[in-house]
Amino acid sequence: MSTAVKPGPETTAIAAARTRRRLAWPAWGWSLVGVLLVWGCIVAVRPGAPLDPLMQAFSLAPFLVLVALGQMLVITLGPGNIDVSVGTVISMSSYVSVAVSASAGPVAGLLAAVAAGAAAGAVSVVAILLLRVPPIIATLATSLIVTSGTLLLADANRAGADPALRAFVNAKIAGIPVIAIVVALVTVLIALMLTRTRFGLSVVAVGQSARAAERAGLRVKTVTASAYLVCAAFAGLAGGLLAAFISPSTVLGSSYMLDSIAVVVIGGTLISGGRPVPVGAWTGAMFFVLLSGLLNLVGWSIGAQNILKGVLVVAVVIISTAATGTGRSTLARFRDALHLGKKETING
Amino acid sequence: MTTTAAAPRRSASRPRLADRLTTGAAHGSPALLSLVALIVIFSIAVANQPGILSVPGLTLMLMSAVPLVFAAQAQMLIMSVGDIDLGIGFLVGLVTVIAATQLGANPVLGIGMLVGIVAVYALLGLLVQRRGVPSIIVTLGMSFVWLGLGLQLLPTPGGAAPEWLAQLGSWRPNWIPAPLVFIALATLVGWYLARRSRIGMRMRALGSSAATLDKSGRSLTGTRVAAYALAAGLAVIAGLLLAAQTRSGDINSASNFTLMTIAAVILGGGTFSGGRALPVGATLGAVTLGLITVLLSLVNLSSSLQSAAQGLIVLAVLAGRVITERFTR
Amino acid sequence: MSSTATEPAVTDAASRREPDTVVAHGVTKRYGSTRALNGVDLAVGPGEILGLVGHNGAGKSTLMRMLAGREQPDEGRISWRGGGGRWDARAAAAAGVRMVYQELALCADLTVAENAALSDPRPPRPGWRGTAERRIAEVLDTVFPGHGISVIRRAGELPMAERQMVEIARALCTDHLGLLILDEPTESLGVDATRQLYAHLKSLVSGGVSVLLISHRMQEVLEHSDRIAVMKDGAVVEIVDSAGATESALLTAMGGEVRADSGALARAAEVTGAVSAGAVSAGAVSQGSAETIAELRTGDGPAFRIAAGEIVGLAGLAGQGQEDVLARLWRGGRGVRAPKHRSYVPGDRQTSGILPLWSVAENLTISALAAVSRFGVVDGRAKRELARRWISALRVRGEAGTPITALSGGNQQKVLVARAFASDARLVLLDDPFRGVDVATKNELYALMKAEAAAGRAVVWYSTENGEMAHCERVYVFRSGRIVSELAGETNTEERIIADSFDDATGGAR
Repeated sequence: MSTAVKPGPETTAIAAARTRRRLAWPAWGWSLVGVLLVWGCIVAVRPGAPLDPLMQAFSLAPFLVLVALGQMLVITLGPGNIDVSVGTVISMSSYVSVAVSASAGPVAGLLAAVAAGAAAGAVSVVAILLLRVPPIIATLATSLIVTSGTLLLADANRAGADPALRAFVNAKIAGIPVIAIVVALVTVLIALMLTRTRFGLSVVAVGQSARAAERAGLRVKTVTASAYLVCAAFAGLAGGLLAAFISPSTVLGSSYMLDSIAVVVIGGTLISGGRPVPVGAWTGAMFFVLLSGLLNLVGWSIGAQNILKGVLVVAVVIISTAATGTGRSTLARFRDALHLGKKETING
Repeated sequence: MTTTAAAPRRSASRPRLADRLTTGAAHGSPALLSLVALIVIFSIAVANQPGILSVPGLTLMLMSAVPLVFAAQAQMLIMSVGDIDLGIGFLVGLVTVIAATQLGANPVLGIGMLVGIVAVYALLGLLVQRRGVPSIIVTLGMSFVWLGLGLQLLPTPGGAAPEWLAQLGSWRPNWIPAPLVFIALATLVGWYLARRSRIGMRMRALGSSAATLDKSGRSLTGTRVAAYALAAGLAVIAGLLLAAQTRSGDINSASNFTLMTIAAVILGGGTFSGGRALPVGATLGAVTLGLITVLLSLVNLSSSLQSAAQGLIVLAVLAGRVITERFTR
Repeated sequence: MSSTATEPAVTDAASRREPDTVVAHGVTKRYGSTRALNGVDLAVGPGEILGLVGHNGAGKSTLMRMLAGREQPDEGRISWRGGGGRWDARAAAAAGVRMVYQELALCADLTVAENAALSDPRPPRPGWRGTAERRIAEVLDTVFPGHGISVIRRAGELPMAERQMVEIARALCTDHLGLLILDEPTESLGVDATRQLYAHLKSLVSGGVSVLLISHRMQEVLEHSDRIAVMKDGAVVEIVDSAGATESALLTAMGGEVRADSGALARAAEVTGAVSAGAVSAGAVSQGSAETIAELRTGDGPAFRIAAGEIVGLAGLAGQGQEDVLARLWRGGRGVRAPKHRSYVPGDRQTSGILPLWSVAENLTISALAAVSRFGVVDGRAKRELARRWISALRVRGEAGTPITALSGGNQQKVLVARAFASDARLVLLDDPFRGVDVATKNELYALMKAEAAAGRAVVWYSTENGEMAHCERVYVFRSGRIVSELAGETNTEERIIADSFDDATGGAR
């Protein structure tokens, strides 16, 4: 393509890209539509106090959002990267949090929960980077080890959650749970980190192409290790908080493994990596929590709910996976077609 | 390995039996690690319980490994094309549930369901190849579908396996431990599918170098679909045998199979990148891991620590792989 | 050699009784902005070995893929034995076109026999494994007597030479062979096996099979082919009868240097002289500017060195060890001395260059983040300013916020070059980055590189386009994984590079 100043296909593509930026439909848009739809259904099934289900969701969703944010970082690292140990880490750190806060106070308890999560993450990192085990197997093995830790702690521990922590996770300001506000702040911090810090940008770059990132001089291994550690630490924090919100249990976190992955994918984060959508963790989590509420309301069994979740994950992955290799999802192209009303060239 | 008698003139470079044996041994050498591990674990078990060295003793000891060996062969087929199946644990569990609830009461529906599972797997293979979706996410999502279906059919463990299946499970010849027969059968089936048949060759070619398979004019999609469907068939057999042993259905009865089968394939010399299928190695790996579970209960390890022991053993095996690779290079 | 035959060789073939086996009529192929083939006319007659020679990027491989039906021409057509119809992979397979790939298309995890069975067009029978073993063993015995290859071993376990033999034998595992295309078949074969291969090719063509032989070993092509087609810049520039042709004539036709004497001894002496001459002028350069900042050894050849302020070229045929030097300089390790701050411009934009989901500015600044951030937090304004400066300096089409994938290849490459130079790297490594980039863009980038080198950076530049090497102060020519000559000043000419990269005497292969 020549650089002469004449409107070639490249100019059109650049112009189209400019238009697209202005009209851009956010990646989390569909999950927001989902949230509104499910909310609408709940209100239709049980009219009266339409805001109640939303407020309930706001008190449940923050924990899922925390886990999903960590999972998002890991998934953003690119194909094959996933942390399936988050569920068991949550269960384990719930006991850690309770045990430590009984003797050293709630803050120390939460910190211990985070540390316990990070320790589990360190096991995964060693397996992934030193033993060159695929992340899925490494984190699966980690989750087995963590399960034993949970069982041992459960045998030893008879303490209840710290009252101060319990008060904190249940506190509300103007009807909105404090924990939701705190997690919203964390989401903002993560979003800023991903766009404004060297670490965040490196995570995103590695996810788009590990080879290109390595050639651009980024430390791929350090970035990978950090993302897994952060993910496990977030799961630990979520476990520490959940211990106070519900109560420690060996199955406390088991549903969070698939849920966190589903939330990340539904929230618009690319499963093939390189495009994190922090806001999507919120819309995705709200969608899931509300959907769960709706299904319980209409009397679906646990089994049916699992089937729906599984099908939903597979369907969203199939629809959104970029078959082109450029990271452009089919859905995005479909969206562009709707907006611009014509097919356009993406590659110059 | 056969030599065709039809060869008109014996070519100078057609390998003789001795060559075949040494080459076969060299190709199988990655499985040596699991053979050594198997002997060590077996020795420890015998030292603890000398009664194992009898037909009933071996039967008891090896029984739990039978479904695992079939599932490991299934995982081996999937891994030979370079994918990983994360749904196999709940899939096997679902098959036990179907066996315990449908096969006896309503055989047509039950068999229809099992065929349906194979069809769904074929579809998954199609999706992975055509859409380029990662197999781990798709199979992970499907594992929850299997779990949900199992819970729908049978919310709590129970039911009853049909009589013919129960009889198969209680078959006890007194000259050979019955599990050995099943294990040998599983290995033979896996060996035929992966190493002997043309489709198995294509599957390994797909995992080894998809571009080469494409250049030689074979269908990549067909190959991957076949791998998934055959693997599903083996997983169904694994579930039926598990139901034959327990005589009941439980969706969670095989949930640790997912990791165990992957570890068995790797322990047996397989690779994550695909292209290689060592059925004997996968069997040795599965038996080793099955025996470890038995051994852990023999040495009275607290039940809380058993899953950690499994996880650590899997990591140790993978570490062993890294070390042996370094030595053989 | 006096007749520069841009006309198709169809006229040649008219004198024969049978129609040509395969004919390319005015075949043109474009990849993006590059023309890989530019109206190629070529005919391969029955019972003929046609040699095909040319330097990097002349279009040999593309033409070969066209003739094998693996790609379709943009313009022109391919006809088989004078017939019409669509020429695709299926038609080619049915007609008996077999190909020996240069990059060795064997599955490493499959046995020799299985690899052969995979591409065998004959329908399978029960006992296919035994049949496949017998067939490939027979072919191997026929073509390479005494080869010593066990057909039940995995292809990945075999040494390169044996793998090459298997690749050749596998292509011959068929009942009806019409056209055999060989792409650098003797690259890793030993002397005996090479002789055996050519003997077998002779017996094949006497049975009416056509052979297209692509090789950069001039002596072999001259000795064994009936006619030789020379390609240059995507076109066949000359077709000669090999009986009257000489190596220097072929080199001239493909753009190489004319030498008075093509004898190996004389050439070897000349090359030795060239190395010392190059070393002298290089010494002058180092004295004038700065100390050597990077150094490494390759094989038993001369060592690689570069000083600050220098642009050093890595030339020769593709895949002779240049990438290895770049990779070692980039990763560091034993026997390598390189400055701490380095940057890399990859040649393969799509897989190891661009970050496809990002904008131009984000792609451009990713390597330079350290300079525009404090405590790990990136200063947005400084980053935008940096991007803006480079975008305007290199006149990248589009704005900072334009997605990188909306740009053309040339403009993407500008961004990648800017990325490397926007960082604080002292050593910049270029991995053949200007393939498929238009001339105007190239000139801008050359100017940039010179300016940056003048400012004290060292630039190592691997290129498959010999013309680009004129922009380098010194050039190392590679052959068989080692440096065979060092050119500088007067000796740094395209003709010399071509001559040295084909030079068997320096390559040591024969």
